[in-house]
Amino acid sequence: MRFLRLLTGREDIGGSGLFWAVFVIVCLFFLAYPLEITEFEASNVAFYLLNVPMALGLSLLWGYCGVLSFGQVAYFGIAGYIYGIIAGNMIGDPVGPLAGSAGGLAACALVATIFGYFVFYGRVQSWIVPILTLVLTLLLETFLGQTAGYQWRVGSVQLGGYNGMTGIPSFQLGDTVFIGYAFYYYVLVVVVVTYLALRMLANSRHGKAMLAIREDAVRAELLGYDIRARQLAVFVVAAVLAGVSGLLYVQWGNYITPSQVGLLQASLPVVWAAVGGRESLLAVAIATYVLNWLTYTLSSAGYQYALVIIGALLVAVMLFFPDGIVVTLARALPRRGLPLPLVGRKSGGA
Amino acid sequence: MEIFATLVSILYQFATNGAFLLLSALGLIVILGMMNIINLAHGELMMMGAYAATIAYHHGLPFLFCPFLAFFVVGAFGALIERTIVCRFYGRELGALVVTWGISLILSQGTLMLFGPFLPSIPIPGGSVGVGQYSFSTYWLVVIALSWALVLGLWALYNRTLFGLQARAVMQNAAMAKALGVDINVIYMLTFALGAGLAGFSGALFAPTVSIAPFMGQQFVAPAFITVVVGGATNVIAGAVGSSLLLSLVKTPIGFAMGAFLGTVALLLAALVIIRLMPNGLSAVIQRWLDRRNRFA
Repeated sequence: MRFLRLLTGREDIGGSGLFWAVFVIVCLFFLAYPLEITEFEASNVAFYLLNVPMALGLSLLWGYCGVLSFGQVAYFGIAGYIYGIIAGNMIGDPVGPLAGSAGGLAACALVATIFGYFVFYGRVQSWIVPILTLVLTLLLETFLGQTAGYQWRVGSVQLGGYNGMTGIPSFQLGDTVFIGYAFYYYVLVVVVVTYLALRMLANSRHGKAMLAIREDAVRAELLGYDIRARQLAVFVVAAVLAGVSGLLYVQWGNYITPSQVGLLQASLPVVWAAVGGRESLLAVAIATYVLNWLTYTLSSAGYQYALVIIGALLVAVMLFFPDGIVVTLARALPRRGLPLPLVGRKSGGA
Repeated sequence: MEIFATLVSILYQFATNGAFLLLSALGLIVILGMMNIINLAHGELMMMGAYAATIAYHHGLPFLFCPFLAFFVVGAFGALIERTIVCRFYGRELGALVVTWGISLILSQGTLMLFGPFLPSIPIPGGSVGVGQYSFSTYWLVVIALSWALVLGLWALYNRTLFGLQARAVMQNAAMAKALGVDINVIYMLTFALGAGLAGFSGALFAPTVSIAPFMGQQFVAPAFITVVVGGATNVIAGAVGSSLLLSLVKTPIGFAMGAFLGTVALLLAALVIIRLMPNGLSAVIQRWLDRRNRFA
């Protein structure tokens, strides 16, 4: 019962029976989808989905905890590169990809803990976190960009400078290698489990404390919550989730380049969260999927316009839908009965 | 003589790095200190300044006037985006961050589409002066002097003019200033225009020393942000000067011994340690010291 209560709590849009019926139907649709499409299309859909954990992490951090980070792609890149180094050195060993994944996520957690310690335990003002995370991203890109040449190799893996790291092994469990349709299902399971787990976290007591910190940090602290430790914990969770997306990305394309941690990539998670509505995990997940599909379609039409359109979209959303497009639409839906999630809550400053 | 020349060379490196940090950050810190808004399009405004200067230079304007032209062009553009977009985000710091980020994406990609991947560069004006076996670029010496002149000018603007008085009043208590008849919207617009104009001015000054490309603003962003974080927003001018000097003290030896990239990494690490020790930046510490001294004087 407690499990169900956490799942259907009010800290995300949707909680009615109808909502869950639609949710299950959509999941079933995604399960059956590969029967209708080619392996190439399934791989594209997997690409749209694999960014969702990073976006959900940012939603948790920014929308639920009130801490904005522009540096989520730094953890994306760290996980991707560490996975490439570990798994690439263990080619032929079926444990390699598993060890690489664990190593990548551990590296994310470590960097986020050290970085977050200085930032949150210093009790800095709210604008400092986004710009320092941005600086971290810029430095990581510069560092990775100058790793061209033979001296920049770890074991048998070359970092490869701006050309990036190639030949990264796919994910493997035992003898099953996750490529093609298998990779699609693997990503789908990761995304759905991540969403449900985060939804339960948001509805738990920790989630309530998180919201209290967002609404009024001083008051939350006076009520006895250690806001520094809690903000740091959420920051690390968000970093690990960005790492999950990074792992999925290198397992999907088998390569990674420094531009994946560049300034332009760094803007994307913020755009997804802002367009969907950062205070709702589901809205962010939907926006991530749709915008990835849109970017892909736009970029096949002519990449040079994609960034202008995304920038304009960001400005327009911040001006006209400060709570996000998906959340605004969800509120406009007619609804019956309780609970009324997200309705009537005064939106605090962005 | 040998030792003297080496000392001059070290001092020159130190002053160059300090001037670079100060000029990169000045526009950003004016807007942050007065309006509590981080302008993420700062790098792109510097890029606009460099473009304005480069285009004017290649149309025959002497380089001497180019930075001033850039100041007014980018300042006017700053006033425009303040009135149309930024003014809706007062009191919402993170919202302002995100929306100025959107503006920066449009500006850099839009520049790429309008002007192509690069513009012909401007030759560095002036020659060099020699001390012992070292030679120093006259241009950078002028830039160093200009950066200090700018700080003095800003100090005079904020402490000796009616605009400065009103701006400081708005910063301390906007509602009270409004009640006393200050048009706070005009003050905000002029402050944002001033910050944008300073970014354009700096961008134009750096234009001869870098390649002119749509994404050139990025290289100024990291140093500028670190300078602002270390400086803090309590006392704009003291913060900018103190933090650029302190960071130059960190960057000069490390950049000299281990290369420019590690110099910038050292800046980030220094910033992390400094905010752990003084969360509101150097300027809060300096301000406290000034207050205490005034009380006992």
